[in-house]
Amino acid sequence: MTRLKNWIPWLLLIGFVLVYPMVFGIVLTNLFVRFAIFAVFAASLNMLLSFTGLLSFGHAMFFGVGGYATALALENIPGLGLMTCMAIGGLSSSLLALIVSPILVRVKDTAFALLTLALGQILFLACLKLRGITHGEDGVGGFPIPPFRIPGFLSIDMGHPQSFYYFAVAVCALSLFLMWYATRTPFGSIMAGIRDNQLRVNYLGFNIAVTKTIMFLISGCFAGVAGALFALFQNLVSPDGVFSVMTSFTPIMMVFVGGIGTFAGPIIGSAVLTSLEDLATRYTEQILLINGLLLICVVIFFRGGFIGLFKTIKQKRFANSREMPDGHPGDEISIP
Amino acid sequence: MGILETKFLSHDFDGFKVLTDVNLEIREGERHAIIGPNGAGKTTLFNVITGAYNPKEGSIFFKGKDVTGMKPYQLARMGLGRSFQITSTFLRQTAFQNIRLAVLSKRQIRYNLFRRIDTMREVTEETEAILHQINLYEERHALTSSLSYGKQRSLELGMAIGTDPDLLMFDEPTAGMSREETHYAVRLIRKLTEGKSMVIVEHDMDVVFSLADRITVLHHGRILATGEPDAIKKDQQVKSAYLGDTEV
Repeated sequence: MTRLKNWIPWLLLIGFVLVYPMVFGIVLTNLFVRFAIFAVFAASLNMLLSFTGLLSFGHAMFFGVGGYATALALENIPGLGLMTCMAIGGLSSSLLALIVSPILVRVKDTAFALLTLALGQILFLACLKLRGITHGEDGVGGFPIPPFRIPGFLSIDMGHPQSFYYFAVAVCALSLFLMWYATRTPFGSIMAGIRDNQLRVNYLGFNIAVTKTIMFLISGCFAGVAGALFALFQNLVSPDGVFSVMTSFTPIMMVFVGGIGTFAGPIIGSAVLTSLEDLATRYTEQILLINGLLLICVVIFFRGGFIGLFKTIKQKRFANSREMPDGHPGDEISIP
Repeated sequence: MGILETKFLSHDFDGFKVLTDVNLEIREGERHAIIGPNGAGKTTLFNVITGAYNPKEGSIFFKGKDVTGMKPYQLARMGLGRSFQITSTFLRQTAFQNIRLAVLSKRQIRYNLFRRIDTMREVTEETEAILHQINLYEERHALTSSLSYGKQRSLELGMAIGTDPDLLMFDEPTAGMSREETHYAVRLIRKLTEGKSMVIVEHDMDVVFSLADRITVLHHGRILATGEPDAIKKDQQVKSAYLGDTEV
C-alpha cells in the first residue's frame, strides 16, 4: 500500500507531462521543451557542483560541442538517424571531457572555475574563427531534422512541435534518471567523499584523478545530450547561442535558484528561470536584470534556493527530527 | 623481514634536514610506537611512509616490496591504513556513510555505476559491524559534524580499520583528548588492532607505554634507539634526550 502511495506522485507527473502539449498549445509546449533541455544541462553541471564540489564556469563547452557535433553531422551526413544524433552529441562532449580532464583533475576550487572558464572561451573563439567548419558567427542552421524511426515499425516526423516535445522530454527524463541513479551508486558515494574530503578519499585507496575523469565524462556527456537536443530544437547553433559565457552561466544560476546540494535543485531552477524569462520578455528586454535581481535575492535571503525555502517552511510547520535519512550523501546537504 | 622497513631514509625541506638515514623495521603483528621530542621528525617520517611526499633519499619496503614514491591510494590498496592527527572525516555525511566508504575500498568497489549502493547488503552489514565495534552504531545516522570530538576520533579510527589494512598507522590518535577519552581510545585501539601490525606516533607517554610492544625514539631526525619499553625507559641516551624532562 505504501509502495503504491509512493508511486502516485510520479504517475500524476507522467500523466501531466503526457497531456501537457494537448492542453497548452505550441508556445507553452516549446517552453516546456526549453525547460527540459536546460534542466538536463543544469543537472549535468550540478553533478560537478553539488556532488563533486567543483564549480565549472565553462560548462557551455560541453553543451556547445554536443550541439555543434549534432548540427554538423546532420548537415554533412545524409540519412542520419535521430538516436544516432543524440549519441553523437553525448559522445563528442565526453570526448572533449576526456581531452581536457588531464588538466582539470589537477586543480580544484577557484583554479578549477577559472580553468574551465578559459577552456570555454578557447572553444568559443575557435568556433568563431574556424569558419570553414563552423560558418563563424552565422552558426550552423537549417539542417534536416531526422524523423524518429523504428525500422519497419514506425516513423514520426520531428518537424511537428508536439512530436518533438515527446521525444525531447523522454530523452531528458531518461538523462535525469541516469544522472540521479549515478549519485546513488558506490561511484556516487566516492564522488561525495571527494567533495567533502579529497585527501581522505585518496588515503582510503581511491584514485582521485580516475574518479574525477569518469565524472567529467558523465557530466560532459549529458551536457552534450542537452546541446544536441537544443540544436534539433532550434534547428540552429551559433557561437553566441551555445558557447558564450552566458550559456555557461545560465545553468549555474539555475542550480543556485533551485537549490544547491540537491538533485532536484537544477530542475526547479530551470523551471523558474525559463518561465520567468518567457514572462518577462513579454514586457521588457532587460531579462538579465530580472535574473540578476532574483539571484541576489536567493543569495541574500534564501541560500538554499527554492528547495531550501520549501524545506524551511515545512520545518516550521512540522518539527522535523535532525537525523539524516538512511541513504546517500549528497541530498539534504547544503553547500556553504 | 618485517612488514614495513625503511632503508637509509632521508628527507629535507629546502635543505633543512628533517630525517637522516632512518632504518626502521616494523615486525609483523607488533604494536610499534614512534616517539621523540617536538621537531624530531615523527610526523615527517609518518608522512613519507604513507606516501604524502617522496623521500629525498632511501627506500621504503612494505610487505617485502619496494614502495618508495608510491601514491597514497596505491599504498592503501596494498594494505596500508592510516588515521589522521587532525580528524579527517566527511563532516557533512553520516557516521554510516563515512565508514561505508572505507568498506567500499576494502571490497574494491570503485567505479560501480550500475548498482544502487543501498541494495548492497554485504556492504551495509559490514559497515554496521564496524560501527558496532567502535560503539557508534546508535549514532550511525547522525551527521558527523554533530558528533562529539571523542566520537569523531572513534570514527576516524573506524575508517582506518574499515579498509581492513595489514598495517595500521595512527598519527597521535589521542591528540586533544581528555584523560577519560584517552583511556577509552587506548582500549579501543587495543581491541581494533588485535593481531594486527600497527605503528603509532604519540606524545602521550602513558599511551605509548601501555600500548607498544616496541618503541623507536627519534631525535633530530635520527633513530636514537629501538627496543622494548623497559629497555627504552632505561636507555641513558634516550633519558637525556627526551625522557629526562618528563616524568614517566
